[in-house]
Amino acid sequence: MIATPLELLHARAGERARARELLAPPRLVPDRRDDAALTRDILTPLWTSDWRWWPLFGIAGLLTLLFLVAIGVTVTRGIGSWGNNIPVAWAWGITDFVWWIGIGHAGTFISAFLLLLHQHWRASINRVAEAMTLFAVMNAGMFPLLHLGRPWFFYWLAPYPATTGVWPNFLSSLTWDVAAVSTYFTVSLLFWYQGLLPDLASARDLAPTTLRRRIYGVLALGWRGSGEQWRRYRMVYLMLAGLATPLVISVHTIVSLDFAITQLPGWHSTIFPPYFVIGAIFSGIAMVLVLVIPIRRAFGLHGVITPRHLDLLSRLLLLTGSLVAYSYLTESFIGWYSGDRFERYALLTGRAAGPFAWVFWFMTAINVLVPQLFWSPRMRHNTVALFVAGLLICASMWCERFVIIVASLSRSFLPSSWHAYAPTWVDVSLLAGSIGFFFLLMFAFLRWVPSLALSEIRQLRALEQRGAA
Amino acid sequence: MPHPMPPGEVTRRDFVGMLGASAALAGLVGCTREPREEILPYVDTALDALPGTARQYATAMTIDGYATGLLVTTRDGRPLKIEGNPLHPSSHGAAGVMHQASILQLYDPDRARTCRIGPRDVRWEALLAALRPDQLLPRVGARGVGLSFLLEPTSSPLHVAMIDAVRTRYPECSVHYFAALGHEQVVRGCQLAFGRAAIPYHDLSRADVIVSLGADFLAAGPDHLHLAHDWSVRQARDPKPLLFVAEPVPTPTGTVAGDRVAATTAQLLQIALRLLDAAAPAAAAPVPATGLPQPLQSWCDRLAGQLQRNAVIIASPQLPASLHAAVAALNRQLDPDGTRTRYIAPPILDAGGRAHDLTDFANQLAAGQVDTLVVAAANPVYAAPGDVRLGTLMRQIPTRLYLGEYVDETAAVATHFANASHYLEAWGDSRSYDGSVLPAQPMIAPLHDGHSAAELLSAIAGDPASGRELLQRHCPDSIARDALRTGLVRGVVPQRLAVTPNIPGVREALAATVPATGTVLQLIPGHGVHDGRFAGNAWLQELPDPVTKLTWDNAAMVSPAFAAELGVASGDLLSLHLGDQLVELPALATPGMADQVVAIALGYGRRGEGILTRPIGVNVNPLRASASEFETAHVIVTRTGRRMDLAITQAHWSIEGRGDDLVDGHIPSPPATLYPPRRPAPDGFGRDQWAMTIDLARCTGCSACVVACQAENNVPVVGRTGVLQSREMHWLRIDRYIDETPGGARFTNQPMLCQHCEHAPCEYVCPVNATVHSDDGLNEMVYNRCVGTRFCSNNCPYKVRRFNWFDYTSKVSEFTLMQRNPQVTVRDRGVMEKCTFCVQRIRGAQSDAQIAGRDRTGAVQTACQQTCPTQAIQFGSLTDPDSGMTSRFADPRSFSALGALNTAPRVRYFRRHDPESPA
Repeated sequence: MIATPLELLHARAGERARARELLAPPRLVPDRRDDAALTRDILTPLWTSDWRWWPLFGIAGLLTLLFLVAIGVTVTRGIGSWGNNIPVAWAWGITDFVWWIGIGHAGTFISAFLLLLHQHWRASINRVAEAMTLFAVMNAGMFPLLHLGRPWFFYWLAPYPATTGVWPNFLSSLTWDVAAVSTYFTVSLLFWYQGLLPDLASARDLAPTTLRRRIYGVLALGWRGSGEQWRRYRMVYLMLAGLATPLVISVHTIVSLDFAITQLPGWHSTIFPPYFVIGAIFSGIAMVLVLVIPIRRAFGLHGVITPRHLDLLSRLLLLTGSLVAYSYLTESFIGWYSGDRFERYALLTGRAAGPFAWVFWFMTAINVLVPQLFWSPRMRHNTVALFVAGLLICASMWCERFVIIVASLSRSFLPSSWHAYAPTWVDVSLLAGSIGFFFLLMFAFLRWVPSLALSEIRQLRALEQRGAA
Repeated sequence: MPHPMPPGEVTRRDFVGMLGASAALAGLVGCTREPREEILPYVDTALDALPGTARQYATAMTIDGYATGLLVTTRDGRPLKIEGNPLHPSSHGAAGVMHQASILQLYDPDRARTCRIGPRDVRWEALLAALRPDQLLPRVGARGVGLSFLLEPTSSPLHVAMIDAVRTRYPECSVHYFAALGHEQVVRGCQLAFGRAAIPYHDLSRADVIVSLGADFLAAGPDHLHLAHDWSVRQARDPKPLLFVAEPVPTPTGTVAGDRVAATTAQLLQIALRLLDAAAPAAAAPVPATGLPQPLQSWCDRLAGQLQRNAVIIASPQLPASLHAAVAALNRQLDPDGTRTRYIAPPILDAGGRAHDLTDFANQLAAGQVDTLVVAAANPVYAAPGDVRLGTLMRQIPTRLYLGEYVDETAAVATHFANASHYLEAWGDSRSYDGSVLPAQPMIAPLHDGHSAAELLSAIAGDPASGRELLQRHCPDSIARDALRTGLVRGVVPQRLAVTPNIPGVREALAATVPATGTVLQLIPGHGVHDGRFAGNAWLQELPDPVTKLTWDNAAMVSPAFAAELGVASGDLLSLHLGDQLVELPALATPGMADQVVAIALGYGRRGEGILTRPIGVNVNPLRASASEFETAHVIVTRTGRRMDLAITQAHWSIEGRGDDLVDGHIPSPPATLYPPRRPAPDGFGRDQWAMTIDLARCTGCSACVVACQAENNVPVVGRTGVLQSREMHWLRIDRYIDETPGGARFTNQPMLCQHCEHAPCEYVCPVNATVHSDDGLNEMVYNRCVGTRFCSNNCPYKVRRFNWFDYTSKVSEFTLMQRNPQVTVRDRGVMEKCTFCVQRIRGAQSDAQIAGRDRTGAVQTACQQTCPTQAIQFGSLTDPDSGMTSRFADPRSFSALGALNTAPRVRYFRRHDPESPA
């Protein structure tokens, strides 16, 4: 097993024994249970309905309705129903887009990246993380479309063989964006669905009613669990993981280029690709914590999602958070070091003392300071602290994108063009509604789809038993 | 007029209604609306007139009695665009904001559409029946004692003839004239100085030193186009003329002054006295100079040293007569031959007489002898000073007829209402400021069957006739074919009067003038809305004030120091008490204002129909007194604690230390680079390479170009809420930066429009190739390809791109549609737009050149360039040696805004020379 550098860092002279323990194969699945019990435990929520689920599903549904209303207003009345203006031609909507895409990244990171790195501990959380990716990217993909002045012509951004002979402009990063996000969505969907196949088959086999058996049967695409099927499954799964992993880097790199290829002070920066990728994983891991902690509690999955999982996630939070803080430092330093008056204003004065200074200071405080709490093992094992930190970081990462986009645009080169920005109810509803839609999908997923990677947990258990034996 | 309607408030019912109207209109627009009478016979003489081609006709627009020569572009019988008449010295081819916007007034759906008696709609003939001599005589007496007229001041020979005709019929009728922003104080000042009525006529092209005492002579007033032209001509010659300005409220003229101070009216009177002492030392001991504050004192000293250098002094028409007397005496003293300032007879009928005294008129009404009152002035019930209580007085008159374009405040107190024709619908004539006569010919049949004042007067005189018949009968010169073709009536030259100033008398008058002291309320003309007559004009309401950049409102302008003293910031509501009158306005801290002065623009708070159902801004006429019309003392200013949002297009007035990059153009030599050198512009890609230069030394910020662009390019208005959200659509805006120093404020105006960058940042970021570069150097917008990502705007360092946030174009009245320029695409919801360098004019000129077989396109004028009173904007091809563009681009004064970004703009600015700094 490979230890993270942080773990090695811990291994100071007096802590050799502890290090050896850390480097040993982790015990992630309690070995008291047998496979059948484990399967039953995990699939039970699919057959039994918990009354607590309905109000949550209902709230998410209502927010989704709000989302639909806001979309309706945007499409029928025009972008004017948003708070955008000239100079702030991109604002809340693009902030939402970047935020959702970023959240999606942690899912791919956990499932594909860690799979390739043989981090078997991922097994109990990867399904939720992948679903999170999928739903987040669905949300993210909607914002650039809604954001168009004439959304019904969205397909003009794609290189399709038009009779006009006019192609998209391949110099524009928005064209790259279309390719990047659509590829990412496709691969994420395939990866998630392929991972689901054995579990759907398990659900089919255990389903209590004929109708359910038929539905899961169709969805399982004829999975029988034969050796040949498993061999192919593993190969494709690895290939998809291999495809998805670079996408984590490339998609957010391209999203960052939507800003970096311009010459706007505050956007025009070569640090953006790594800065955005790290920020994306940071926010995504925060979102995983926000999702996993309540799920673990609600379904009593303490045995499957162990404190060690949370511990590892919080270490990732600490690592990515520190990298984000370093990016902030570099960005400000380069702003000053460039000697360019526009850069200096945009990155230093404008952000720290401009009209959105309070957003800037909120996001700096949260993103820089909160992850540092997790140097402490006590904090890493405090689920409430982790949950609250996850929420705060999600909000604060949204603010980070808001500061980059809105604060830079509202005060650029010509002081004559400076103008403030204020969102409208439509802007707020779109964000709240998309969060509602995300949870609507998430609740549906938890209720009707095997939400833990059953087959992988069984494999992990077998692996651990073999190791123990 | 396009209502500033937030499209969200359009209901389904409205929409269906609009749909029906549009369908009905589809037929209407196709119809031509030529007058029933012959203008220049379309069929007989205009052999080259093809359907769809543009034709220009000369006419004149009259404001407060003074005419400006104009050319009106019409297409298929629809007047579409106003330009100045290059042949006439009142315009030199330029037009001001009100002239430019008057085209929208013609198509205003809120104009009165019928005559009325009481609440009943009647026909013009029915209305006239009540005014026939056989009806009138029994009521007003055989000699017309009971008949009274209140007219707009007039210089028209036709009006003179009509008033004579009325007087022949009713010898004892009374005629008074009213204009809220007239020139009576100037005339009375000359009466004081010379003993006879006169007005000054300046030739600034010969002046080396120009002094303005509160006068915005470059951007407002009846002669401003001529003065701005001459000043601009003088600018081309070295050494540059010095412009000294002392004014209570910053004006466009003040923004280009080399030496500007803020001064109250009381201080201006003292300055006048000092200048008089300097120019004509008094025999007796000079009047002891009371203390002027230090900045003013040194301004006076600097000026006194320059006075003998061919100086011209101009004072604001809103200042007291004694000050004008002093200025008249000074000008005569400094220029006895009249080479720079000659005094001429006022073209206005009875100028300086009792007929122009509103108090005299009010006394006559109060005396109770008037039975029939005929009003044909610009909304006097609204615009008259509050202490006259004109509305109350008028209600006591049994029969009161009002001829007006709108059902306004005056119409509300009238028993009889006649809807007036627009000047583009009527025959007439008028004199310009210099006294020359201009013909006015209709461009279109009256849209609502309106009639002119001349037609009304002829009916009262007992001989009703159409305007054209009246002209033929009384002023055949004004309707001569040659006059109509050129817009000039030949043979009329301004008369120079031989006048000598009575300097001791002037000194006495000055000493006797007791100006308001303490906190003074200063009432200034609204830059676009004038005295309120243009308050319903959406273009002018949305036109940012040149100094404050405020739209859709008037505000209580105070100096930042005074604002701090009052404890208010911009937007805090102030209450102003005067006697029993109370108005509330938002404060607006304005650098460059005199302290202890609250300045408020007139012309706001109008009530009427349509757009004015809810008043825009606040009516401050109730706070005016007829004795001192533009200044009110003893106003109690207090803070209310409430706030309101001000729709200001450029709230941030500091340049943030970026002057080098933006307006001064001190660009350091480019650093060494590995990039290949820039492609030389002229060869390789196209025949013509279009380019523009803008001279910041000549730009007064008057904003005529902004309205001209709006009229030419179908630029929509977005209303107050739109401006508050920073969504105004102007393709051309005027940035103004203020450098606030302890000694005063320095202003810089910078017209900002698409820079047509050779390396355009907007182009490479557009994902659908909707903004591309043309072969002749234009940055083009392909509207129907645009999907509205707005990425281009984000990457535009000049932020000149405009987005159609809503559907701004289809939900307007059928009349407004008639104003649309058919040469320019109307933009859909969700697409970007921006300045095109008037590409329709370029392509038109190219096609003309091709047809004529010329190998060069030749000169093309953009709309902004054509109307610029100071010729600050020049346009031409870099490859055309005749255009002079290449040498302008090479001029050492020229620079690119944000040149360091290497966008290589095709718009270059000429940096401003200040007299203080070496050229």
